[in-house]
Amino acid sequence: MSVRTVARKDLADAGRSKALWAVTLVVVLFTAGITAMLGMATDQPVGEVFRLAFQLVVLTLPIVGLFLAKGAITGERESGSLRVLLSLPPSRRDILLGKFLGRTALMLVATLVGGVATGLVVVALLGGGFELLGPFILSLGLMGTAFVAIGLGISAVSASDGRATAFAVAVYLVLVVMWDLIEAGLQAGAAELGLVEAGSHPAWLQFIGLLPPNQAAIAAYETAVSGGVFATDPFTSVWLPTLVLLAWLVVPVGAGYLRLRNADIA
Amino acid sequence: MSTTDLAIETRGLTKRFDGVTAIDALDLAVESGEVFGFLGPNGAGKSTTINVLLDFVSPTTGTASMLGLDVQAERKSLHQRIGVVPENYGLYDRLSGRRHVELAVEFKSASDDPDALLDRVGLSPEEASRPAGEYSTGMGQRLALAMALVGSPDLLILDEPTSGLDPNGARELRAIILEENERGATVFFSSHILEQVEAVADRVGILKDGQLAAVDSIEQLSQQLDGGAEVTLHVESEPQRKPTGLPNVRDIEVDDGVVRGTCLEPEAKLTFIDRVRDLATVSDVRIEESSLEEMFASYTTEDTADQDAEPAVAGGVEA
Repeated sequence: MSVRTVARKDLADAGRSKALWAVTLVVVLFTAGITAMLGMATDQPVGEVFRLAFQLVVLTLPIVGLFLAKGAITGERESGSLRVLLSLPPSRRDILLGKFLGRTALMLVATLVGGVATGLVVVALLGGGFELLGPFILSLGLMGTAFVAIGLGISAVSASDGRATAFAVAVYLVLVVMWDLIEAGLQAGAAELGLVEAGSHPAWLQFIGLLPPNQAAIAAYETAVSGGVFATDPFTSVWLPTLVLLAWLVVPVGAGYLRLRNADIA
Repeated sequence: MSTTDLAIETRGLTKRFDGVTAIDALDLAVESGEVFGFLGPNGAGKSTTINVLLDFVSPTTGTASMLGLDVQAERKSLHQRIGVVPENYGLYDRLSGRRHVELAVEFKSASDDPDALLDRVGLSPEEASRPAGEYSTGMGQRLALAMALVGSPDLLILDEPTSGLDPNGARELRAIILEENERGATVFFSSHILEQVEAVADRVGILKDGQLAAVDSIEQLSQQLDGGAEVTLHVESEPQRKPTGLPNVRDIEVDDGVVRGTCLEPEAKLTFIDRVRDLATVSDVRIEESSLEEMFASYTTEDTADQDAEPAVAGGVEA
């Protein structure tokens, strides 16, 4: 009851934020636009264009997710409206879950608009590839929600909105921008220590490469379109990356709750 | 008195922030049905106490309950039955005033008509339709009060409810407090301004340095301080002797064409004047009541001089 009311309140309030919609619109236009240019300039098959579009969207959509969620708690904490909410029956858990639902709904709207726009651009320009639209939007929706969960976790553990923003930027850099470097560094370090042979790519390293939601989403999309739904090797199946994405929904929000539960709302 | 007769009860409640003790083994008991004024200078621990009562902050040690329910363990059922105007509250800038009240109604599963509540706190339908981001401080305060009244709470907790209200708004607030109390609600409200409390409170508690310096009715507190009233009589010629046989008049002086005495009770003033008139011709009378302000000040500021002095000495030594 309380969770649903918080979610609806949050949708009504955050849904009226011009800043949130501006960011979403810019990201969507940017993504669909670049995909359109890509589609026009290339003579590659439609599947390849979809793949390239996906690689592009996983760079931009996390910004929307993190930006949508990172102020969910800190904003209310700074304005003092959290004190009003907490004076009423909803608990901190209700508020966090309600916010998660509300912001996820906003994110899914943004993803659907962005994903459908990008997908339709490809389909319209290259004629075909309709069957790829489903996995395309499903993987992106799951990834977007994972970044909302991360942003909300950040918001729950941050004392101020400024800190939450800095934290969100750092998380974006680590998970999206630098993960390949981190993985390569780990590989080189492990080789140096003699744990793995130089140039080899053992399962644990593959798993680390799969950890960020954006990487997991790429794996989920590619394995899904290449028939990995029935694969037995976890690294060519759609299930392992999907499980990784599902874990990203639970862990950051849970960790955020543990911190928020005992925080002084003074 | 059993616990359930108390609207608010704290036992040995202590809260320390990074080694600073904000409240120190506080034992507070607010009875059901009373209007309780929670007084104290800024920084005395009023807000921390209320933050603990509302479970915004966890106590370091001690327990707190309201309406017989533990403020932490039974928070949810407790918050169904209380109405709160917290300090430093914020509103949702993009939501209308009416939407705010509707939210409180939904959260409390209450059946109140939001428009009736908004009207009661003096917000017009037109104002209620505007986003709260456009509200003045006073309008925001009225809206917060309307939200607190949702569900006819058994206990109203108002933290500095008059801040931001003009004198007219403060008067309307007092009227609402009395109406709610009449209905049966216990009202607990904090203020650092005495005159807002004395008009409505049955009892007051004065907090100082995280401890209760005094709890009583305002009349009792005034008497305990035996401030009395200083009566000054101008006489045409000084009497030969001081008036005697006046047990309730202290510090009688005759000096410079003036007879002065401190009367400890109202009747003593008349008796004092009559006795002096037996002895001399009185040309003028001046009476100065020891004000509640002075009483409040005597409870809360007597150590301030020491506090100012100590760090100066300690700092000088350490530096």
